[in-house]
This record gives sequence, C-alpha cells and structure tokens, in this order.
Amino acid sequence: MLLGVDVGGTFTDAVLVAPGGRVHTAKAPTTTADQSAGVLSAVEAVLRSAGAEARDVRAFAHGMTVATNALLEGRTARTVLVATEGFTDVVELGRQARRELYRLCAAHPAPLVPPELRVPAPERTTPDGPLRALDQPGAARVAGAVAALAPEAVAVCLLHSYRHPAHERMLGAALRERLGAGVHVSLSHEVVGTFREYERAATTEVDAALSPLLARYLRRLIDRTHEAGLPEPAIMQSSGGLASAADATAHSALTVLSGPAGGAAAAALIAAHCGEPDLLCFDMGGTSCDVCVVEGGRVRETAQREVGGRPLALPMVDIHTVGAGGGSIAWRDAGGALRVGPRSAGADPGPACYGRDGTEPTVTDAHVVLGHLDPARPLAGVRLGAAAAERAVGALAGELGLEPRACAQGIVRVANAEMVRALRVMTVERGVDPRGFALLAFGGAGGLHAAAIAEELGIRRILVPRAAGVLSALGLAAAERRRDSVRGVLLRGAQITAEALRPRAGEAAYDVRYRGQAFELTVRGVPPDPGAVRAAFEAAHEERYGYADPEAEIELVAVRETVRERGADVALRAAGDEAPRIAGPAVVALPEATLLVPEGWSGGPDETGTIVLERAA
Amino acid sequence: MSLDPIALQVLLGALRAACEEMGAALVRSAHSANIKERRDCSTALFDAQARMVMQAEHIPVHLGAMPAAVAAVLGERHAPARSWILNDPFAGGTHLPDITVITPVFEGAELLGFAASRAHHADVGGRVPGSMPADSRTLAEEGVVIAPRVLDEAAIAELSARMRQPEQRRADLRAQLAANRTGERRLLEIAQRIGTGALRGALDEVLAYAERRTRACIAALADGTREARDVLEAAGGDVELRVAATVSGEELTLDFSGSAPQHEGNLNCPLAVTRSACLFALRVLTDPDIPPSAGAERPLRVIAPEGSLLNARPGAAVAAGNVETSSRVADLVLAAFGRALGQGTMNNLTLGTDEWTYYETLGGGQGACPDADGPSGVHVAMSNTLNTPVEAVELEFPLRVARYELRRGSGGAGAHRGGDGVVRELEALEPMRFSLLTERRRHAPPGAAGGEPGAPGRNLLDGQELEPKASGELRPGQRLRLETPGGGGHGAAG
Repeated sequence: MLLGVDVGGTFTDAVLVAPGGRVHTAKAPTTTADQSAGVLSAVEAVLRSAGAEARDVRAFAHGMTVATNALLEGRTARTVLVATEGFTDVVELGRQARRELYRLCAAHPAPLVPPELRVPAPERTTPDGPLRALDQPGAARVAGAVAALAPEAVAVCLLHSYRHPAHERMLGAALRERLGAGVHVSLSHEVVGTFREYERAATTEVDAALSPLLARYLRRLIDRTHEAGLPEPAIMQSSGGLASAADATAHSALTVLSGPAGGAAAAALIAAHCGEPDLLCFDMGGTSCDVCVVEGGRVRETAQREVGGRPLALPMVDIHTVGAGGGSIAWRDAGGALRVGPRSAGADPGPACYGRDGTEPTVTDAHVVLGHLDPARPLAGVRLGAAAAERAVGALAGELGLEPRACAQGIVRVANAEMVRALRVMTVERGVDPRGFALLAFGGAGGLHAAAIAEELGIRRILVPRAAGVLSALGLAAAERRRDSVRGVLLRGAQITAEALRPRAGEAAYDVRYRGQAFELTVRGVPPDPGAVRAAFEAAHEERYGYADPEAEIELVAVRETVRERGADVALRAAGDEAPRIAGPAVVALPEATLLVPEGWSGGPDETGTIVLERAA
Repeated sequence: MSLDPIALQVLLGALRAACEEMGAALVRSAHSANIKERRDCSTALFDAQARMVMQAEHIPVHLGAMPAAVAAVLGERHAPARSWILNDPFAGGTHLPDITVITPVFEGAELLGFAASRAHHADVGGRVPGSMPADSRTLAEEGVVIAPRVLDEAAIAELSARMRQPEQRRADLRAQLAANRTGERRLLEIAQRIGTGALRGALDEVLAYAERRTRACIAALADGTREARDVLEAAGGDVELRVAATVSGEELTLDFSGSAPQHEGNLNCPLAVTRSACLFALRVLTDPDIPPSAGAERPLRVIAPEGSLLNARPGAAVAAGNVETSSRVADLVLAAFGRALGQGTMNNLTLGTDEWTYYETLGGGQGACPDADGPSGVHVAMSNTLNTPVEAVELEFPLRVARYELRRGSGGAGAHRGGDGVVRELEALEPMRFSLLTERRRHAPPGAAGGEPGAPGRNLLDGQELEPKASGELRPGQRLRLETPGGGGHGAAG
C-alpha cells in the first residue's frame, strides 16, 4: 500500500492506496507546534478506515509546510553570512526596487541575516578567476570571526563562485573544522550554481537559516515513523519530485513549497489517468487558492520565484497563489464596493457558520446562505450553523443595501473574479489561451466555484476527482523521485559544443539567451546538440516574445540536470457508488468536498471516479 | 448609483484584467530590452469622452500623463481600426522617447472608447544614441517630434527610418498596436456582456467610485493652505520651485505659481509631466488601492503658470524633466503635507565608448513615514527599475565593481529614521566616457516634524568630488564612486 500525507493550514490529509487502486482517505487536525503529531494521527486514522496495518505500507510520501511557515513567520536559525569584502550587504540591497509603488515605507522583509552577523571574506574573484587570492590562514581567520558570533547556521556567498567555487570550498572546510558538525554550512555554488549574486545569496541564506529547524522536524518525524513501524518518509520538494529525508535535510531551501507541490503532483496524476494532457488547476482551501498549469502532461515549472518576499532561485512548480478561500472575509470598502479577502477567518475562529465566535461573513457562509452547503452534513467534522451564516451575511447586506441572498451571490461572484484573475495571470498573460484547457478543481472548496470560473474563462470541460478534498495527499503517494542540479557555464556561439551540452546524469534543460539580453529562457526536451538547442530556443523565443533573431549570437547560461525515478503506479478506480449521470442544476456531495453543477452543465464519473462535466453548446 | 456594489466590483476586475492583458501583449511582442525586460511602458482604457477608466500600473511617471495623449486626438475624425501616434510633449506627450499609440474602439458605428499604450523607446533619433542628451537646449535636438497623426504602415516606415535601429522601432510600434487590439477586443466583450447602452452608465459609475474614494481621503486631511519650496541643482546654479497646496473640503489645489521660469537646459516639464507627479503624490497621500482612473483626478486642480519650468512652452528641451524634475515636484507636494523626503534623484550614470553603452540608475534612502522608518537603497518616487547585478556588469562590460554597500548612517535621524543611501564604486578596465545626471548633491533631502535631513549624495572620481551634472573621460584603473543621498527622518529622535 502507498501512503501520502499532506499537511495543510487547517487539516492534515492522509491517503492510502491499496494494490487494486482503491483509495482510502482520512483527515486529522493539523498540529501547528509539531506537525509530526498530526501526521501520525492522520496515518492511524487512514489505516483504521482501511483495516490495514503499518507493515502493509510499502512507501510513504510526505508534503509539509514546516519550512514555508518558518520562513513566513520568521522562525529561522541564527545565521551568519560570509560574503566578499565590500559586498556584505548583497541581500539587504536586493534589486533596489521598492516593495510597493505608492506605499513608500512598505518594507521588504527584514534581512534573515542582520548587519552585525555579516562577515567579510578577504578575497575577490572576477569572471576570469581569482584577483585577490584567499589563503588557508585567511580562511581560518574568517572561520574564527564566524565562531565568535555563535551561529546555528552559516551561508557563504562569494562573487563569481558559480564559475570559480574554490574560495567557497576553502571557507566551507575551514568553517566545518572550526564549528563542528552541529552547525549547518550552505555554500552558494552548491545551492544555486548560477550567476546574479543577490538571488544566489538570498537563496543560500534561506537554505542555511531553515536547515536546523527542518532537520529537527525530520528527525522527530523519522523517530515517530520508526516507532509506528512505518517506512521512512520521502519528502516532497518544491520541484514536484520526492527526495529522501537525508537529501531534504541537506538543502532545506528545496522544500519551501513542499505543500503546494503536492497539489501539482496530483494535477499531473489526474492528467495522466484521465487522458487530459492540458489542464488548468485550482486548489481552493480555507485561506487561499493555488493555481498551476499542466501542459502536455507536465506541470509547468519556473526557475525562480518569491516566497514571503524572498527570492528562491531554484526549480519549482509554477504556482500562483491568491488569498481567496472558503474563509476569506467579505467587506464593504470606503467607495461602497463589495470586497472579498485577502483577510481570512482561517480555522480559528473560522467562518461565522462554524459557531466559534466568528461574526464576519466569509465565502463559506455565503454558500450556506445559498444552500450549496448542507448544514446537516458536517464540513471536516464541524457542524455548520445556518442561522449564524445568515446573521453575518445579513449584516453586510444591510451595509450594502442589498437583499441577503443577493449579497451572498455577490460574495461568491467577487471571490470567483479573484480566482479568474489568478488563472488569467497563468494563461492569457503568458500567451496561452485558456479555452484549450480543461479545468481541474480540487481542495475542499474547489468544486463549489469550478463551473462559474470555467464559464468566465470560456472553458467547456471540468474535472473534479472523487478525492478532490484530499487530492494533494493522493498526488504525494504517486509522485516521482527527483534530484536537480544546475551548472552555471556562460558560453557563447561556437563555445557551445555537444560536449558542453552533454548531461552528466539524467536529462538536461538549458538556460539560453541572445547575447546582450538580461533574461534567459529554459529550453527542455532537446538532445544535447548545438543546432537543436538553438532551434528550440528560437521557437521558444518566438512564442514568448513574438520574434526570433537568426543572426544574433546565443549564450548558454546554465545547464540544468534532472534525474527522475518514476513514481508508484496508482490505479485510480471508481468506488462504484457515484451517481451515474449528473445534470445541472445539482449539488453533488463528494467524500471531502462539494460540487456545484449549474444549469447547462452535465456529465458523470469516468472509470477513475473523476467527475467530468461538460457545458451544453 | 447605476451599478450595484457587486456589478461594480466585477466590472472593475474586468477592466483591470483587460489593461493587464494589454500590458502583457506589449511586453511579450516588443523587441527592445527597455520594454520587455525593464517594462518601461503602460496601457490604459478610455471611454468615448477620452476619460481614463483604468490603467495597468507599471511606471508611476506614466500614470497621469496618458489622458493628455487621448485628449489630444479626441477631436479628430475616428474610424474603426484607424490608430493614432504621438510623442510631442506639447501635444499629449511627456518626453520624446515615450511614444503613445491610441486606437478607437467601435461597436458598429458607435464609438465606445479608446485603447492606449505608451512605451519608452530605446531611441527616437536626435543628436545622441538613446535620445536622452544630458545637455540639450531645444526639443529638436532630443529626437523626432511626432505631432498627433494617423499610424499606418507608411507612417511606421517613415518615422522609424528617422530613428536608430529602425527594425526594432517598427517591431515595438507593432507591439503597441497589438496591445491596443487586445484592449479593443476586451472592451467589446465587456460591452456585449452588459449591453452597449449600459456600458456608458457603468463607466460613469467606475469614475464616480474612484472619485468618491479619493474625496473621502482628501476630506480626512485638515482644510487650509500649506506651502513648500525646494530647488533643482541645474548646471548654472540652483533653480527654485514652489507649491501652495490647499485642501478645501474634499478638494485639493496644487498651485506652483512663483516657481522658476523655464530654463536653457533640459529640466523643463510639459504640464502633463507636472500633473503626473502631482497624481503620484496624491496617490501616496490617499489610498493606493483606489482604481487609477480619471475619477480619482477630479478632486485635484493643478496650477502651473505657462512659461514656467513646470509648464514649459513648445520647443523647450525636456529630456531630464521627466526623470529628475518630476521627482522634485512629487517631493514638493509631499513636503507640503509634512512628509520627510527621500533621495529625490535617480542617480543616472552612463558609461561607454563608440562600441558600447552602459546605463544605470541607483537607489537611495526613502524618507521616513509618520509610522515607519524609510526603506534603504531603493528607488523612491517616479521610477522603480531594477539594478544590474555586479556579476552581470562584470560579465558584459570592461568594468569592475569595487564596492556596492549600504551607506550606513546616511539616513536622517528621527523618531523614525530615513533610509540609507548606497555606495557604488566602479573601476574602468579600459578608456571610456562617463556622464552623470544627479540631484541632491548640494542640498540634503529634508526631514519632517523634527526629524533630521538625510546626507546629501556625493560623486567622486578617484576621491575628487564632482558636480551634480558631470561628464568626462575615465582611464583604466580610475574609479568613479557614487554615494547616493539618505532619506529624511520623521519626528524628533528621542
């Protein structure tokens, strides 16, 4: 049996896939202080419901939010930065753009490493090699200065180390010798491997600052799983592939988006099983909505993004998140318009209908008022109070001069508009027409909004998996294993040879640009042949920017190598108790989610148990 | 109210999405780095009376200046698919590199509105490459002046032939047309969804909504007149600017009477740029969340006497007005309302030879706010472009960066501190020319409410101090060091 466990903001979901493909699901409350406790509760619950035991579990995959939360909440280790003398403020300087155009004092997040913990290294390397050489005594003096600051972790980022790593390696050895194995050391050329010092240094700081915390968590989790007789968990990385717990511990920056990446893995799973290679996916939970795109069966990736205002220059699934979830609060602004979010009632107090002191109307309350959610059916164990929902929505309706029902409809429409905007960012703004895609909706609230969003985008086909409420956990159970590395090279014209392009392991992708450009495009799925790489780059450039320049010289900036190992076979099968045929208007109750089918939409479950709806022409 | 609160919010979302999609189409299909990488461009939709109903926000300096462009062609005879082009700073433009393309949107025979796009082109001809001369004295020296005219293939060919890299100019203009077509399509879709008749009323409500929110914010400011004065550090000596800012109920008047007359150099502004800077300041002083539309401008009146530096007469040189003077106008308004000021300059540095050119602008200290410290090392007002990484500079150009750090202690002290400037020192590895266009070297960015001023900036060549505007030669091994200004503090330090 395959086990997947996904930790969300409110609930920890567990999925167990039996050899025949039957899927068992369970939820337990997320335990914020130590997520591993909730993980084990969810595992016990799913084993119980399946009538199975720990020793029946062949593989265990885990997606978590430990690193993300620590980063967002600033619970990071005391970290020292070692940087080239004259450049120790590299992270604080950033890219010099202010955070918001008109809120002049809106600050970037405070640097993870404050000025008093930045240590200069007496060295300088240029693109051509060392200009000011670092010697052993110099490295030892730096290690001594670092030790005096009593760090829990150290990040080292020297100029041009992506090409000339010798000085970073020398410092790494000196630091390990001086500080011992108890202090984590991250070297920038090992973490990122490409040029642009700010992004590389910032990512290295995150890697160092999260490592002690993540290592403690994974140690606790492994102890608990051993005790319970479970296999050691594999950890979901931001790239959408699994890594061993040891690899995840070595580079914590790789797991910052572990949680949402599970959703992306699930999207790829559904794409494969339902024969739908092109999917727009939205995963709507209690506080936010994650959007990603599957093209040709693969989840779209990005080489860089920000998390909590900090750049991470690492391969990650391309996920766009907006603050629209079931708990998002509706309000009236100073101009008299109805707004939804970004403030959320979260799990505590939660929507007004949870009956836990929440008085502000949320999207979930609007659905209760509209009759989409049945108060008789508890939502993840919480009984819903219709009267409280009506009171909360009614109060806002009064402020706006609307009937309560019209106000509830309005809350849903405005929330939909937020999500439509997120989906447009991922499609139209990147030159992709959403009408060629099917819409995959999951998460507890996804099915309630899918049809309205599809109509707004001109999409005629919707997929809602049977396990929509716990799909991320299912995606984990079936995910591939994966290891990524990047080599910064910067070669021009004839220097780009077949030998330079040859991957040392696995498959390769190439970061290429025209000479003089400041940004690269990543070219994938081409043989390591200079002509083929150039042709693929020009096609990608044509698609992205509307032109190619056959005369211009190209530059190879980096080679990205990925070693993949196929994931477990999960044979999705219908449970056999679904309604054979659904025609809107209807409300369909799924195990952990609700599907709203408006007039004009109809369909039914396919052989995987996924409900496929189509809009009448 | 002709729209309910929900329909209003949904329409605002649709208009915003349409403008953002226009911007994406422009960035995607343009050829020049300035548009597709630095995103120095803006897109907007207008109603049939040339009132801006929404704008995608990229660059603040474009914010308030687009309506003048559409107003400049409103009286022309319009027909479907007949677009217009202009860059004349005295007929709807700002400075010559900013070219605006305007496309009317028709449903049948009825004019629904306009789609407009503005982009900073890498070159528009004139005396120097880049069309941003440091020492121009007339508009004609700065490039090709385009009075409003129909933009067809013949016009594209004729205009780009008079500029450098004509291929790139043609591609960028076509990209602007493509952006406008996207806007046209989306506005038509909105009209079809809610009905052409209803659209007019709905757009009225969009403007009224932004106006209501702006008025509510202005009403929260105390009535009365506040004054401020400040200077620009022109080559021939300081040039004074003044404002009297009067809040009366829900309205704000910004009167720049008494400011210096237009001058011989290129710090002059057409009125559209002055208005733009005023709107920037208004957005800072009110709620940045208010949708950018003509409605938000209604409670604002700007007075700048014709022939002054801030409302220059046709023919005046204006290249630096858009980048440096606009910052000072925003400063004046913010100072009048008791704000501490930021670095107030973009620290423009150009290096190069006949073979290559390298241009950068540098961040500095932001002024402290009444409730927060000013951020350090950022662009503070009308620009928000990125720096060039040290590693990228050294891989591409015969330059070495000797130092790039925060200029600690340069922010003004106060209950809330001004942000620190930066120190950036570049070493020439071969002979080259340099040109510096900077401000706040002689006069420090002031603090407010008892806060100390920030440190003024400094430009040094091998340790020797240079003027705010300077140019010359660098020999290999010579170092140019820029220390950018700190921001002013707010409140007495306790």
